[in-house]
Amino acid sequence: MTTENSTSAETATIDLTTADLLVVGSAIPPEEFEAVLANLAEAFPDENVVIAAQQQPAANAHANLRIIEASQSSATWMLKPADFVNAFEIAREQQARAILMLGPGAHSLKPQALRELANAVFSGSIDLAVPRYTLPPHSGLINSAILYPLTRALFATRTRFPLTIDLGLSIRMAERLATVGKRFAAANQDDALLWPVNEAAVAAFQVDEVEVGTRDVPQPSDPDINAILQLVTGSLFAEIESKATFWQRPRRLPAPRLQLDETLLSDGTADVPRMVEAFRLANSNLQEIWCLVLPPNSLLALKRISALDAGMFRMPENLWARIIFDFVVAYRLRTINRGHLLGALIPLYLAWVAGHLNVTASGMPSERHIEAVAAAFEADKSYLVARWRWPDRFNS
Amino acid sequence: MHNLMANISVTSRLAFATPPYLDDSTIWHHMSDALHQSMYRVLTLLIAVLPGILAFFVALTIFTLCGMLISWLLRRCLSWIKFDLRLARLSGDAWVPSSPPTEIVARASFWICVLFGLIIGVSAFDASYATGTALPISLLPYVTHAVGAVFILIAGVVIARFLARSVLIGAVNAQLQYARFLSLGVKWLVMVLTAAMVLDHLEIGGNIVELAFGILFGGIVLTLALAVGLGSRDLVSRSLESHVDRTGERSPLPHGVPPPAEQIRHF
Repeated sequence: MTTENSTSAETATIDLTTADLLVVGSAIPPEEFEAVLANLAEAFPDENVVIAAQQQPAANAHANLRIIEASQSSATWMLKPADFVNAFEIAREQQARAILMLGPGAHSLKPQALRELANAVFSGSIDLAVPRYTLPPHSGLINSAILYPLTRALFATRTRFPLTIDLGLSIRMAERLATVGKRFAAANQDDALLWPVNEAAVAAFQVDEVEVGTRDVPQPSDPDINAILQLVTGSLFAEIESKATFWQRPRRLPAPRLQLDETLLSDGTADVPRMVEAFRLANSNLQEIWCLVLPPNSLLALKRISALDAGMFRMPENLWARIIFDFVVAYRLRTINRGHLLGALIPLYLAWVAGHLNVTASGMPSERHIEAVAAAFEADKSYLVARWRWPDRFNS
Repeated sequence: MHNLMANISVTSRLAFATPPYLDDSTIWHHMSDALHQSMYRVLTLLIAVLPGILAFFVALTIFTLCGMLISWLLRRCLSWIKFDLRLARLSGDAWVPSSPPTEIVARASFWICVLFGLIIGVSAFDASYATGTALPISLLPYVTHAVGAVFILIAGVVIARFLARSVLIGAVNAQLQYARFLSLGVKWLVMVLTAAMVLDHLEIGGNIVELAFGILFGGIVLTLALAVGLGSRDLVSRSLESHVDRTGERSPLPHGVPPPAEQIRHF
């Protein structure tokens, strides 16, 4: 009898100090918090789940969820480095087996998606589970044009959304991200963006992608394209600069695991002429800046496409890849002020968007075109490596 | 006695033949005196300043040579202890400079030595010049003003180029048709300001420069104000429209107006 009592008491103690899964995220508004709790309770009926949150609900109706008080960042967009530091510290205290990090707007994630993300890291063979979202038409274009192709070509990973919105982490992955997060905090760069996929690639950790369906993707507080592009691409270019020794070695890309979404999403009514006009204006005014960054054959190709009619406008995939590679090199060399450099990239990005919209309007599935762009980046990686090592030469 | 009489008669004849103000030998004598005195003053100045100039060059040369030697030694020592590798291990991915750290340290040591040589050379020159300050010369203070003016000019050109590029990129991204004109206006605004500051520093022109600068600066500002005011009506209306869109105050579309284009989300 005594033995039984002591055993049950021990179990109760373990329940309060250990957790199967730790859920951490940015500050969630009270009205969304209840929905997140309900989804988590449905997704993990048998696991001991600890949720680190700033607010406590009036009454916790879910027996398997334990809510502990913890500080959260007030991120309204992507997770901040401080979130990763907090997550690892709480996970160590709670002796959690895995961590689920949820970004703003996590209430729109379905219970099945939460379960899949956690299952990937529970398996023990995966260190980083990254969601693959189903986005509305013409969304996430910076990711499709720059972030995904660059990450895929340089870090040999097929992660379609290499961003810090929602993530499933093993403890060792969380530890690594917390170390990087602390470094950012020490450098007083609290608003810096973390690139967990790149960190995992450098550490040779296993990364897996999980289909999670639709989600309300959080948007930056400033919807201005100039601000977003400068922040996101600047952060990725800096990341590429810091990991140059890693990506210059050739690496084999893993075989695709998830099916390509072949649905046609465009109805062809996007405002292409305005974007083409913006590119033409830049082509006639920004030559003095572009010629410091781009080689003469790229400038010539840009001049040729600027003469195309808006309906026929296309940005060739290999030209786009070389433009981005040249900008990465110029960012590293500080050929011109970095703010100016990223500002001069905006009209070229708009030209890519216009070309992409025309391609999708002509009947090609959006994802297939993005895959073609990413393949062009991969094929031309040697150009970036050559220019990175011998930047004085413009390779034709 | 006979000789004395002959001299007196020659002198009296010369005195009657030429008036006193046309005495060539006196004029030449005065001119020669003036030239001798001027040459003496310049040579004295040069003699006073020359050791200082020599000291400046000697100090600079010695410290440059020292810098080269220290730089070479540091490069060899740091390569021997594999400094680059150790630093890379210590800092991880946090700091990746475009040049190897050994090279940076070697270059820094060289330039610190050169700077030190410059400081010592200038102070030696200053000490020797101080001994010659009694000489009436205003050239050397003017040279220091000229150096200051060169620095102002360089800073002005750099700032003008930076601002012109900022305005050009900002205006192109705001889709202003007159982006180049605006950028050029800002560039010349800063250049005119710089030119006025340089002339003022060199104490050339006085009030004329101030007046000309005021007219030019005012003219450029007025031209730009007119250009922006007349040319950016569309931009202002677009900005107001987007504000109304964001706050949800837009009125419903009237009948017959085509639906808006597909929404693009960059992120």
